[in-house]
Amino acid sequence: MITVSRDTKFVHLAWQRDEKALANVRYPMGSDPTGAVCRLFGVLDEKSGLALRGTYIISPKGVLMNSEMNFFNLGRNIEELLRKVRGNIHLAGHPAEGVPAQWKRSGDLTLKPSAKMVGKVSEAMKK
Amino acid sequence: MTERCGCLQVGQEVPDLELDMFDPVKCDFGSVSLKKLKAAKKWTVLFFYPADFTFV
Repeated sequence: MITVSRDTKFVHLAWQRDEKALANVRYPMGSDPTGAVCRLFGVLDEKSGLALRGTYIISPKGVLMNSEMNFFNLGRNIEELLRKVRGNIHLAGHPAEGVPAQWKRSGDLTLKPSAKMVGKVSEAMKK
Repeated sequence: MTERCGCLQVGQEVPDLELDMFDPVKCDFGSVSLKKLKAAKKWTVLFFYPADFTFV
């Protein structure tokens, strides 16, 4: 997990030291002063120069697996982010499966798409 | 169809990128590199937000 804004690393340090809510932060706080990385992911709001609330999951092979973007004033649900990361890790090891919306962690029911399941997803979900 | 967005789409490879960073664990500065994270076989989450001293 790497957080990214256009603030410098010096401001990151000051913010982490000052804000009690960040006292337990363990992740690297990335700095993108030119906005180049923000632009690459399409999160740069050119009007304000600030990054929108974008979240991107990248596989160990370097492939972009998820993309989510919220406007400035809508927070993200960390439980859902963790679910997506767990889902991606599970699917990387089980590429023939599909992870349904209510799946939470490995061991929960997944779907194996097949001709038999066409039109029978509701039945498959009850197993 | 015209391209809607020049930016990365899901399923595409992310180019190697490197960022200056503050590491709160070591309380020191450093850099993060996607190349190194890939070499370590790590999953990476990039979490963008507008600015420090705002509400994440």
